[in-house]
Amino acid sequence: MPRNLLTDFELMILLATLRVGDDAYGAQIAREIEQTSGRSVLLGAAYAALDRLEQNGYVTSSIGEPTPTRGGRAKRFFRVTPRGLRAIKETQAALVKLWTGIPQLKEGRT
Amino acid sequence: MKTVHPPRLAMWLLDRFGRDDEGLTGDLVEELDRGRSRAWFWRQVVAAIALRRRPRDPRPLHLLDDSELPIPGPEPRREINLTASPIYGIGGLGLVALALLISIMSPTSWLVGLAILLNGALLGALLGYVRWRRTTRGAAPPSVLERK
Repeated sequence: MPRNLLTDFELMILLATLRVGDDAYGAQIAREIEQTSGRSVLLGAAYAALDRLEQNGYVTSSIGEPTPTRGGRAKRFFRVTPRGLRAIKETQAALVKLWTGIPQLKEGRT
Repeated sequence: MKTVHPPRLAMWLLDRFGRDDEGLTGDLVEELDRGRSRAWFWRQVVAAIALRRRPRDPRPLHLLDDSELPIPGPEPRREINLTASPIYGIGGLGLVALALLISIMSPTSWLVGLAILLNGALLGALLGYVRWRRTTRGAAPPSVLERK
């Protein structure tokens, strides 16, 4: 059975979406990644990745109500699907396998 | 609380050249309202436009255990010539500029072009006349213009 491995950015997007919860939208997801990893996120790149993840069935999106602080524009909420969760677990398992048994990465060594 | 208005030019560029997604546009406006700088806003807009115009990455998500599956190559780009221009990459204004350039650099080439057009029209009329004669008279007249 083929595994659904994710790129590092896709993995971060999915994990941040899970961390934010049900009302996760683009800016919130980007903020979560910036706060946890210190990595600056381009919103356009985040939306491109979210579109790709949605096309692959890893997330679903829904449109919310327009708000004045957004210039009357609606939010697009994202939610991770069971398939997305499976992809996260498979990617994690693959990364952990790669991680183990590397002497340079053992504690106390530089 | 005072509402921060996004730069109009940036908004126009995003609407015109960016992705058609009010979620992204709304997020950018909201972030600006939350205290992000205008420089940040411009950087995001430029990046969003650049990412929108970049061709899609053909790399599949299934990276492992897909060795039996054929890896599809990048899809050929299909472009529609909306300007109906016969020259690839040159649109309506480009054709006007080309015509102006020819007029300035070599005005006599228009006469050559006109002569070619007239010759083509004459040849077409002659062929039409021969075909009409053949159909009206029934018998095929000897012709040097048509193959037997």
